[in-house]
Amino acid sequence: MPVDLEKILRPIDTPHPRFPAKYMTLANGQEMVIRQVDRDEIPDILPHVEKLMRVERDYYHIVSARVYAELLSYHTYRVQDEYVLIAQVDGELVAVVNGRIVNPDIGMSLHTLSMRRGLRVGAHAFAAKMEYHIDILKQKEVLIVAESPIGFRRWMIEYKLEKRFHIPHELGGCPSWALTKELFDKARNTLVVGRRPVPDHLLAKAKAAILTPTDPPKPPEDLLAATRSMLDNTGTSLLEMKKKLGGM
Amino acid sequence: MREVYVAGIGITSFTRLEYPLVEIAAYPGLMALRDSGIKKVDQLYVANMGSGRINGQTGLASAVVDHLSLTPAGAVTIENGPASGASAIKEGFLAVASGMHEVVMVIGAERMREVNALEATDFVATLTHPLAEYIYGVTLPSLAGMFARLYMEKYGVTSRHLAMVAVKNHHNAMDNFFAHLHEEITIAGILDSPEASTNNPFVADPLRFYDVCPVSDGGACLILASADAMKKIRKPMIRLAGIGQATDTHAVHERKDPTDLLAVREAATQSFAMANVQPGDVDVAELHDAFTILEIAESEEVGFFKKGEGHCALEKGETKIGGKLPINPSGGLKAKGHPVGATGVGQAHEIVLQLRGEAKKRQVENARIGFTCNFGGFGNNVVCLTFIKEK
Amino acid sequence: MELNIYGYKCRRCGHLHYPYKTICKKCGENDHNEFDIVPLPKKGKLLTYTTLYNPPSDYEVVTLSLGIVELEGGSRITGQLNIKNPKIGMKVAGKVEIVRNDEYKKHLGMVFYPA
Repeated sequence: MPVDLEKILRPIDTPHPRFPAKYMTLANGQEMVIRQVDRDEIPDILPHVEKLMRVERDYYHIVSARVYAELLSYHTYRVQDEYVLIAQVDGELVAVVNGRIVNPDIGMSLHTLSMRRGLRVGAHAFAAKMEYHIDILKQKEVLIVAESPIGFRRWMIEYKLEKRFHIPHELGGCPSWALTKELFDKARNTLVVGRRPVPDHLLAKAKAAILTPTDPPKPPEDLLAATRSMLDNTGTSLLEMKKKLGGM
Repeated sequence: MREVYVAGIGITSFTRLEYPLVEIAAYPGLMALRDSGIKKVDQLYVANMGSGRINGQTGLASAVVDHLSLTPAGAVTIENGPASGASAIKEGFLAVASGMHEVVMVIGAERMREVNALEATDFVATLTHPLAEYIYGVTLPSLAGMFARLYMEKYGVTSRHLAMVAVKNHHNAMDNFFAHLHEEITIAGILDSPEASTNNPFVADPLRFYDVCPVSDGGACLILASADAMKKIRKPMIRLAGIGQATDTHAVHERKDPTDLLAVREAATQSFAMANVQPGDVDVAELHDAFTILEIAESEEVGFFKKGEGHCALEKGETKIGGKLPINPSGGLKAKGHPVGATGVGQAHEIVLQLRGEAKKRQVENARIGFTCNFGGFGNNVVCLTFIKEK
Repeated sequence: MELNIYGYKCRRCGHLHYPYKTICKKCGENDHNEFDIVPLPKKGKLLTYTTLYNPPSDYEVVTLSLGIVELEGGSRITGQLNIKNPKIGMKVAGKVEIVRNDEYKKHLGMVFYPA
C-alpha cells in the first residue's frame, strides 16, 4: 500500500515561526529582499542551482550539488524541519541559504549559495539565516561548517565561531563550529543588517517571480583568451572561450 | 639624448588569472609585438615585485624572453616595489635614448592571487622599514590610514570625498574590459544607507573597504623605439617626453610633514620640466590610487590643483571623463586593479590608448598630453611619466 | 631594568636619528659615521593614528591600533597604541613591550598609553 509507506517516509515538520522578510541597500545602491520560501517555490529555484554544478571554481560545484539535493528533498518531504531563505534583487535570485532545526535549542546551518559575486550578497544572506535561528527561533546555538575557503574566512573568522569538534556536522560529518547567542550579539552591530517591514512594492516584486540570475558565477574564464582575441582577427580564441563558458 | 616613442602596447585583464606568471607576462608582450608589427627587440625589461616570494620563481626576465622566443636579446628583471613598472619604463627609455638600443620591450607582470589576501598584504608590507615599521604590524593600508586621518583633519577632506573617488573610478572601469572590478557602486550603498557600514566596513580607520584597491594578477607591456625605428612602424607617434623619479625617507614618520608627498612633487616637477610642459597642459592622467586618498593627494602634489583643493575639484566633477582634467579614466588602481609590478606599465598603457584615441567609450576627447604617477612604497620611490602625442 | 628604544645622535651635528642611518641626514658628512646611542624619550604627542581591522595573520588580535608620535625633543616614532579613544594632538607616554611574535623571536617596540 504505497500511501501508507509514504506516510512512514515523510517526516512531520514541527511548527515554527516564519522568517519575517527584510530588505537592505547594497553597495551598488540596489535594494535586496531576503524572504522565506515554501515548497511551492522550490521548482523555480532548482534550475538556477543546477547550472552552478558545473562551475568548478571556489567550490561552487560541490556546494550547488548539495544545495540542489537539499532543496529537492525539502520539496519532496525527505528532510525534517528544513527551511529555505532566498535573496532577490528586483526579483532576480541572488542567493539561497538553508538550514535545519535540530531541536528547540540547536540549529544546523546547511548552505549559503550566492549567485552574484561581490557586494556582500552571500554575507548578508548568511547573517539573515543566523538571525532566524537566534532571534526568531530563539535557539541557543547554530552548528556550522564551511566547504570553501571563502566560506571559512567569512563565517569562522568574521564571527569568531567556537569549536564544537566533538559534534559531527550533518554535512559530511565534519567537525562542527558553533555560533552562540553571545557571539551573535557581538556581531549584531557590524554584520547583521536589514530593515522591516519590506515596502509593499519590493515584496510584491520579489514574490511575483523568481527571475534568473543575470550574472551568475561562471566556470574559470580563459582571460588570456580575451587578450589573445584582440590580436586574432578571426576571433577564434574568443569563440573557443564562449563555447567553454556554454554561451553558444 | 635621442627621442623615444611608444611603438606598441599590450595588456591582460587585471583580475585573478589562473596561469603561470610567465604566461601572464608573455601575453601582453605578444600583443604589443603584433600591435607594433615588430618581430625582434634588442632588450627586454620585466618589472615584477613578488615572483621570488609569492610564485617561487626568480630570474623572471630570462624565462619571459625565452617564452616569447626573443632570445638572444638581453633581459633584466626590475624590482622596485609598486613603482617597478614605471622604473622599468625609465630603464627602457634610457637604453633607447642613449643610442645603445633601437627597440626595447618593457613588461610589467604580477601574480599575487596565488596566495590569500592576508599573505599578499604581508608581502607588500615587507617594503616598510623592517625595524621601525614592519615589526609593529604596519601594513600599507595602515600607513594610508594614518596619512588619511591627518590629511582629512588638515584639509577638510571627508569620507564623502573618498567615496566620490571610488564611485568615479568604479564607473570608469565599467567601460574598461581589462579592469578587475566591473561593479557600479553608489554613495547611498557605501556611505548613506543604514547598511553602508556593513557593506563598506573599516579597513584602516578612516579608510574603508571601498577606499582600498583589490589584489590583482595581471600584465602589461610597452615597446619603446627610437625615431629611426619608428619609420618602419606605422603607429601614431606617442613620445615618452618626460621622466621624473624621486625618493623620500624610508620610514614615514621621519618626514617633516607626513601629509606631504615630497617624492611625488619632485618626480612630477622633473617629468614636466623634461617634457617642457606645465601641469595645466595635461589632458589626461593616471594617478596611483591604491587608496582613494592618494588620488586626491597626488593630484595636488603633481601640480594639477593647489594643495588642499584636490577634493574641491573632485566635487565639481573636474576629474571625471568629460571634466577639465580626467583622472584615472581606466578605473585606476581602485577599480582597474593593482598587480603591483605591472601597475606602472598598465598606467602607461592607458595613457597611450587615450593619446592614440583608441580608448573607445572612456576616450578623453582631443587628448594630446598624458601623465602617469607610479607611487612606490608609501611615497618613498615615485616615478612620473609624461607622454606627448606628436602631429 | 627599564627597556628603551634607541636613537642615533650624530657626533658632528647632534641630529637625532630614528631609525639608524649610515650617513647623517642633516649634515650629510660622510667622512665619519659615528653616532652616540641614546634612549629615545617616551613622552610625546600623537600626530596621527589608525585602527587596522585586518592585522597581519601572525597577530592574534582582531584590531591593531597604530600611530605616529612626536616625542619630546622633536624626533618621531611609529608605534602601537593602547588608547581607547585616540585624538590627534593628545599627550601619550610609551612603554617598551613585545609588539610582534615571529615564531620564537620576540620583537620589542614602543606601545603608547594615554599620558
